[in-house]
Amino acid sequence: MSDGPNNTGLWQIAWRQLRHNRFAMVCLAILGLYTAVWIYAEATFWGARIRGVTPAYKVSNYDIRNQPPSAAHPLGTNFAGRDNLSQMIQGTRIAFEIGLLTSVIVIPIGFALGAVAGYFGRKIDTAVVYLYSVIDSVPGILLIMAIAYVVRSVVERSEAFQAITRYVDSGLLAVCVGMGFTGWVGLCRLIRAEYFKHRERQYVLAARALGVSDGAIMFRHIAPNVLHLIIINFSLRFPGLVLTEAVLSYLGVGVRDEPSWGAIINDAKQRLWLGNWWELAGATAAMFFLVLALNIFGDALRDALDPKLRTAEAKTA
Amino acid sequence: MSALLEVKNLQTHFPIRAGVLQRPVAWVKAVDGVTFSINEGETVGLVGESGCGKTTLGRTILQLIEPTAGEILFNGAPVTDLREFRRQAQMIFQDPYGSLNPRMTVGNIIGEALRIHKLCATRQAERERVAHLLESVGLNPDHARRYPHEFSGGQRQRIGIARALAVEPKFIVCDEPVSALDVSVQAQIINLLQDLQEKFKLTYLFIAHDLAVVEHISDRVLVMYYGKVVEEATAEEIYSRPQHEYTKKLLAAVPSLPI
Repeated sequence: MSDGPNNTGLWQIAWRQLRHNRFAMVCLAILGLYTAVWIYAEATFWGARIRGVTPAYKVSNYDIRNQPPSAAHPLGTNFAGRDNLSQMIQGTRIAFEIGLLTSVIVIPIGFALGAVAGYFGRKIDTAVVYLYSVIDSVPGILLIMAIAYVVRSVVERSEAFQAITRYVDSGLLAVCVGMGFTGWVGLCRLIRAEYFKHRERQYVLAARALGVSDGAIMFRHIAPNVLHLIIINFSLRFPGLVLTEAVLSYLGVGVRDEPSWGAIINDAKQRLWLGNWWELAGATAAMFFLVLALNIFGDALRDALDPKLRTAEAKTA
Repeated sequence: MSALLEVKNLQTHFPIRAGVLQRPVAWVKAVDGVTFSINEGETVGLVGESGCGKTTLGRTILQLIEPTAGEILFNGAPVTDLREFRRQAQMIFQDPYGSLNPRMTVGNIIGEALRIHKLCATRQAERERVAHLLESVGLNPDHARRYPHEFSGGQRQRIGIARALAVEPKFIVCDEPVSALDVSVQAQIINLLQDLQEKFKLTYLFIAHDLAVVEHISDRVLVMYYGKVVEEATAEEIYSRPQHEYTKKLLAAVPSLPI
């Protein structure tokens, strides 16, 4: 055993490995930049909301519509004379909100169902597997659209939910709920398999022999051993969510009154034949680099956190 | 001497399920009608080949696996208060790597036993108790802050022993506690177990497949074969006058150096 200071936990080892991965560090820097842009966009949005004024990115100015890039508008203006750069920046906010809001739905469902299915097995497991097999057998985008339509109409029609739309765009909420209730399947499978494996470990048996309850074993003992999978799954799912939202906006189900990247691209395609490339350039590039950076960083994170991959690497090295 | 543990005609069968409805189509008779008793302060060895049901028997006795039939009497009565039973009967595991949660500190692993059974009133009392337990198994109290992967196999096994001792049990099932360790470390752990037995008045059910170890530590030996106990005798008797065919084979199979 080592007599050195206690700095060899999972996270420290992972961080050390990540730090040596230059590619991952570049991606992490890019993600940091995106986060800064996101915070800036939230500040602008909520600043305008609190002051009760229309935020600058939503003000139409038909005198300067469809202008090519210039010093005042680095990415030009769109059909309503709005600055494309600030539209893109607000799109970043929408993308992050979608990623986080959807994960808030996906992670508890996927984790809880995966944990009980894997830990208890037998009938509970059968029920969970049937449930997610059914969801998985319906074409994803159709199911998301169906759920999103229902959620949106419920939210917009009932007075009880009206209050929510003051804080969250109803279209965004609908898309997140749709993706949330279909997106937990992958995480659930992963967690279930992991709980299957861990419940046979002797440390679980030891906990049971001590009289630790099933709930405590699931959440206090096994959960820390699978936590890294949730983080990896989150970082790898995030880009998919951004892309799906873009597709949904393109199909007209997505975010309504806010400029999500999908909505921007959907609008801009109508003027692409005029040669107005600048209208969708910003949103497309922003989406491209976010998805790329998240994918590369997510992969690197998985390599660093997953002990199985690490031992495989150590053996070949 | 009174019997601490009595096992009467214990059976543990596992179903083999098949088909769409997952109905049992056959049964694995891991423990198939075992009867024996262990007196207070005694060490009973349980030997047999791999897969003969030794571990299942140990786990069934500790109520970790539901028995199919039979009776387990602890202190002369069936176990009704499982919580209290968990405080009196503990287990030491075979695999020193798998039996400690890699995400918990040693202090937390041992301290949990104390917390579950509310044995320490304050955090400070718990820390002191953990430090004391670590010392009694030959570890440094400072080790409480470390994680299991920082220790060697023998040290991990000591941590597992400290965890079992935390609740001050009367009875411990040792499930091949040394078979995964280096030979040089095995003797240390065996001696530790014997010292602790004397100090804390423990009763052991010692499961092993290494006959030399069992002879050294046990007062009596049970030989198990295909889910049944085929021979029961004192350690010396088993070695000098094995009765059952299987016992003779088992003894003959012990590797020895040609001198």
